[in-house]
Amino acid sequence: MSIQSKSLIIAGALTAALCSVATVASAEDAMEKCFGVALAGQNDCKAGEGTTCAGTSKVDFQGNSWKFVPAGTCMTMELPADGAGMMRNGAMEELMRDLPEA
Amino acid sequence: MFDYAQGLPAKPGVGYKPQHFQAILDNANPVGWLEIHAENYMGAGGRPLAQLRHLVERFPISVHGVGLSIGGEGPLDRDHLQRLRHLCDWLNPASFSEHLAWSTHDGAFLNDLLPVPYTMVTLARVADHIDEVQEALGRRMLLENPSTYIAFAETAMGEVDFLSEVARRTGCGLLLDVNNVYVSGTNQNYDPVGYLDAFPLHLVGEVHLGGHHEDSDDHGKRLLIDSHGAEVLGPVWELYARVIDRAGPLPTLIEWDNDVPDWPELAAEAARAARILEPVG
Amino acid sequence: MNQSLFAAALLDPDAPLPRGIIDPLGRPAPKRFAVYRNTVASSLIDALKAGFPTLVKLLGEEFFSAMALVFLRAHPPKSRILMLYGGDLPSFLEEFQPVAHLGYLADIARVDQALRESYHSADSAPLPEADFQQLLGQDIAALRLTLAPSLRLVRSRWPVASIFAANHAGGPAPKPAAEDVVILRPEFDPAPHLLPTGGAEFIAGLLAGKTLGESLDLATGPIDLAAILGLLIAGRAIVGVTK
Repeated sequence: MSIQSKSLIIAGALTAALCSVATVASAEDAMEKCFGVALAGQNDCKAGEGTTCAGTSKVDFQGNSWKFVPAGTCMTMELPADGAGMMRNGAMEELMRDLPEA
Repeated sequence: MFDYAQGLPAKPGVGYKPQHFQAILDNANPVGWLEIHAENYMGAGGRPLAQLRHLVERFPISVHGVGLSIGGEGPLDRDHLQRLRHLCDWLNPASFSEHLAWSTHDGAFLNDLLPVPYTMVTLARVADHIDEVQEALGRRMLLENPSTYIAFAETAMGEVDFLSEVARRTGCGLLLDVNNVYVSGTNQNYDPVGYLDAFPLHLVGEVHLGGHHEDSDDHGKRLLIDSHGAEVLGPVWELYARVIDRAGPLPTLIEWDNDVPDWPELAAEAARAARILEPVG
Repeated sequence: MNQSLFAAALLDPDAPLPRGIIDPLGRPAPKRFAVYRNTVASSLIDALKAGFPTLVKLLGEEFFSAMALVFLRAHPPKSRILMLYGGDLPSFLEEFQPVAHLGYLADIARVDQALRESYHSADSAPLPEADFQQLLGQDIAALRLTLAPSLRLVRSRWPVASIFAANHAGGPAPKPAAEDVVILRPEFDPAPHLLPTGGAEFIAGLLAGKTLGESLDLATGPIDLAAILGLLIAGRAIVGVTK
């Protein structure tokens, strides 16, 4: 495909995209944007739960002592254990993950 | 040198929590200033920094570091010092404070304020580190007395003597955490009143008040945990009133980091501190 | 006191206590030392819970906390800034035998982590609409787009977008499918979006600095370019254009 015809395809797609999206300008740092959820753990200077909790427990997940069983929503997700049948077009692909910041 | 006693107002402040942003803007009374943990504002952008841009226009800010590891055996982290410098240059805070503690070793950050033995060796190391911090930031810092649970066989001097000597050598000020005095006094078998009477109150630029929980040690003895997860308890208020009576009004922070209450309950704690500050103010 | 031994004993409950740690009467004080062990463990478990909410829903709190304890002892934070702690958790999950039957967990952890990275990323202003209109008259295939620093791409052979939606937005039970998601943060709240076919290859091309034409060539099979560009524009994720 020539670069000109590619440009036509891309320009057509961009035109369609611009029509479908209402681009609304928002005031930089508008106060209402600041109301909302905080994500992620916070650094603190408090102490934990005293002398009896996680810190002293000895968990060995490779031996026979691992006694925990997943008990969340994964119990109701019926997906094949090995991901069989979920390949794109049946082909192996290099997975790209966690791309660095642009 | 900048006078930090004039930096923060001698009013109650609170540790800033993002869930209180709107309430604080609506009506912060009687809270007159806010403290942030430096490390929570070292991201590149987004809501945390946007909130802080609004708050710094309205309130004096105290930057309280929790990750510098001033008591660490290893050298201070230059990158972290630079990040602190960047934050302080942006906010021009009324106060910068850190802890007499260590938290990083061999590249692992342990996320706790760990104790140091009070010896001449530790004293020299801590003083060197504080010199480095004050030079890097271009400002005087306050050093906070810790809450501790264990003692060290090698400890050779009292905590008040240790802090006083660090301040004398470095010119730093002190942050007096009254709850920590009560917690450590109980845990280490000393009288908090005697500790406070010996404390160099003229060096104190800020006071901390917080809640603690009760547990017990290896021999069933009462052991207090500095949990910051409840209201300030009676004995701590009494010690605080004694400090203010002797020193006059001081900037006073309510620290509540765990099971954080709604704003009215936190503001009520600040109001209680304000009532102790006012009669002498 | 030796801080190496102290630190090692914090992370290993079988390690001996460093010598010289005593109570005020000079007696050994293992239970007092446990206060520090517990603060390290419980504070880092809390940070991981806050950082990986979808994993917590999938596994339940009890399992997640036990798993987090194994993780934090092997991978304590390398940074003093906790907000991004847990970058090693996805690869840890791929090797963690008790969840070997839940192959999708590692990629869900990648989505949770990418959301948090996006939340703390630098702010950016989207390209104004007039600038887009100007592009239409140019040799557009030779141009390169700059994408927002808060954009993240997670590719998976699992239905990660559907699993996420089922856990956060009351979506239907996921069906077996490979799904790619792009995380966009139009203001301050990042959200994952399912990408149509070819979308991930195209966006990866743009992120790598390729031209629009080259990025289009990377997509195999049919590609709904209008839908992909619409998603990026609505998400305020196109922030610049260069030749």
